[in-house]
Amino acid sequence: MEVLLDSSQPRLAPGCRWGKEGEEPVVLFPEGMIRVQGTGQSILELCDGKRTVHEIVNLLADKYGGAEPAKIRGDVGSFLQALRQKRIIDY
Amino acid sequence: MLISNPLALIAEVTHRCPLHCVYCSNPLQMIGAKAELSTEDWVRVFQEARALGILHLHLTGGEPVARRDLSELVEAGHTAGLYTNLITSGIGLPEARLAALVDAGLDHIQLSFQDSREEPANWIAGTKAHANKVVLSQAIRKLRVAFTVNLVVHRQNLDHLEEMIGFAETLKPDRLEIAHSQYYGWALKNRNTLMPTREQLEKCMRIVEAAQGRLAGQMRIDCVIPDYYARYPKACMGGWGRRLILVDPAGQALPCHAAGVIPGISFDNVSQHSLQWIWNESPAFQRFRGESWMPEPCRSCERRAEDFGGCRCQAFLLTGDASATDPVCTLAPSHHLVESAQAVTQGERESVAWSYRSNPQ
Repeated sequence: MEVLLDSSQPRLAPGCRWGKEGEEPVVLFPEGMIRVQGTGQSILELCDGKRTVHEIVNLLADKYGGAEPAKIRGDVGSFLQALRQKRIIDY
Repeated sequence: MLISNPLALIAEVTHRCPLHCVYCSNPLQMIGAKAELSTEDWVRVFQEARALGILHLHLTGGEPVARRDLSELVEAGHTAGLYTNLITSGIGLPEARLAALVDAGLDHIQLSFQDSREEPANWIAGTKAHANKVVLSQAIRKLRVAFTVNLVVHRQNLDHLEEMIGFAETLKPDRLEIAHSQYYGWALKNRNTLMPTREQLEKCMRIVEAAQGRLAGQMRIDCVIPDYYARYPKACMGGWGRRLILVDPAGQALPCHAAGVIPGISFDNVSQHSLQWIWNESPAFQRFRGESWMPEPCRSCERRAEDFGGCRCQAFLLTGDASATDPVCTLAPSHHLVESAQAVTQGERESVAWSYRSNPQ
């Protein structure tokens, strides 16, 4: 499986898109949906296929002032890799 | 009782189909073209579905492509805010029409294959369909739409499952669904020739696990154990009237594909009632909702909130009693019916006489 690089440009995989369950944002995919909240939502909203992982980490570091970029990079990496396994994210 | 909203609408828009697959899940009594709902009816149903909280629309059949208004139906689903999925054999879907569906807002296409090899694939489908599907899958990959290959497996093709997975890889889908035949409709008629042996099934699970590891992140593989060989029943449709509504070509709303076989239940029609009323108030959707209908051993079983006693249609088809514990459960008093069905699994190719699915009049 491809490794997530700082230069990778993650985006929602084909067939995955944002939707709403009531007022709550969800990501819809062929066989179901996931509810995304908090930091997961913040990460996914930045995954537009243009921003690099490096840029996403910096934006999150600004948003969540005080968190170590290295720690954020680790969290973003494991989150996106898990979603790639589920074919929700491509990079 | 508090009823949660349904998550998906299965719109069986027609029973017409150019294929005659021996494991078709359509009922034996099919609905003809004249009785089908109009475009306007379906558009209204999709809007009602979204208002009811439904997220996914699965357009299926028969072959949904047989409806000339399919683009309008896709557009209506998309406009209503539904995630729109097309479940198709691909026959009758040239590239230009496919592109129009994607333009209309189609999110996902699930294309069925009967085999990796042309001749046995056509043997199962009862028509020459395989080569067209391969061509169509190339057209699908040129468009930005999610793509699942659905491969139905059974006794007659499981021995070359590795080859079939390799074939699916060449089609480059996002996802491969390996679906064991489920014994309803036409598949029940052909059960003795379709049901795998336990050895085949065990080998299948090992092959699938290895392929899942090898293809992680590239092609997701989903595979469900056929329930005749499971220890406990499947949570059929996520439980009766808990997650899904199926509307058949004539507008009858059912909790499950096969529910029409159960006698003594009157299923309401979307022409006379709103989906909301059907979901919340109709006697049919309440018939097996919750736990009060359950017999023992379900009633006191700690798994009752996980599998809801299994499938009501299967219970009826095998025991004649829709309220019985699903016979596939090893705890069911009627489990011997499933064991004896396994024992008669038979039929080498030369001796097979299929009941091919016919078409509605």
